[in-house]
Amino acid sequence: MSDQKPLYGELETKMKEAEELIHALRTQQVDAIVGERHVMLVRLKQAEENLKSSRNQLRALATYLLSVRESERTVIARELHDEFGQALTSLQLGLSWISRKLTPEQRPLQEKIRSLSATTTSLIRSVKNIASELRPGVLDELGLIKTLKSDAREFEGHTGIQCRFRTNTAKAKFDRSAAVAIFRIVQAALTNVARHARASRALITLMKEKNGVILTVTDNGKGISRKRLYSHESLGITGMRERALALGGTFTLGGSRSKGTMLTVRIPLSRVIVRTPSSSLHASLRSPGSR
Amino acid sequence: MKARKRERRRSAKPAGERYVFRLFVAGNESNSSQARGNLARLCEEHIKGRYKIEAVDVLKDAAAAHKNNVLVTPTLILIEPLPKVTILGNLNDTRQVLAALRLTGDKG
Repeated sequence: MSDQKPLYGELETKMKEAEELIHALRTQQVDAIVGERHVMLVRLKQAEENLKSSRNQLRALATYLLSVRESERTVIARELHDEFGQALTSLQLGLSWISRKLTPEQRPLQEKIRSLSATTTSLIRSVKNIASELRPGVLDELGLIKTLKSDAREFEGHTGIQCRFRTNTAKAKFDRSAAVAIFRIVQAALTNVARHARASRALITLMKEKNGVILTVTDNGKGISRKRLYSHESLGITGMRERALALGGTFTLGGSRSKGTMLTVRIPLSRVIVRTPSSSLHASLRSPGSR
Repeated sequence: MKARKRERRRSAKPAGERYVFRLFVAGNESNSSQARGNLARLCEEHIKGRYKIEAVDVLKDAAAAHKNNVLVTPTLILIEPLPKVTILGNLNDTRQVLAALRLTGDKG
């Protein structure tokens, strides 16, 4: 018994020393670890600060690149629609004018013109589709909700995957850049569903809650692997995440073989909704000229 | 007359125990520099004229650290008066450092 006392004392001292060491490491008060042959410098605080700063820089750059890409898309879409689309329409009008001027004896020419006219019509349709893909005109004309509704319908038509859209914000007016971001996220998510999920059903929801707007895109497919989730090669996922973060929101993506994939984006209300029906009603009630 | 004698006695060196510290640092790394500054300040404020600090830079003399069982820097060892005390970290927490060095009642 008496032999054990110094042993306990020693053990207690060692434990105390270990605790102090852990505390010093945890509170980042250590700047070197001394080994038998080498001294290793620990620059945790500095490394953390550097990491944070470069992460912020990258995020700012990503946000800037997204906005540049969006405005370039708008310009190209306009050019395509206005210039190329107009030129093709003139061409078609010209072809039909020539067609009307031809005599019945010029039948082979008539055939050729009909074929050229059909090609021109198909080109006009393609230009419209490309322009709409680049900058969806409906987003400006119809607003976000109707665009998402039509997107879901179109997706179902193209892929055969049943796609539904639900919302509780049908009449809200969305901020323009937030609407573009949400639209692009849904576009990318649906592309992933079509390409990778092997799903038979997909559901898009856009719900307004107390503090924010929550967008979800779920499917009943094969889920997503951890590797793909965190791979730097998953550019679609990175793009969606950057768009959500640029709006001050959060982005989560997860899933399993049995449950499919679920994407959730939460964006603060102040960054998304410009005007809700109730606020516009209050505004019109306050306005003296309103009826 | 009595008061003058008392005054002479108070200013006579050394008034109390002598303190010897060994501080292990890693060059001018942030925590090491802080520890150096903090220790010098504490000594000046509490045991002025009664202390000696031996600073050991482990980047120049790793063997000394190893010999003293020093695993990380900054590490402060109170060599004298006994018992020996070891404190890890940048010594920013003045209250705790003073308590560990048994200097809580000492001033000047």
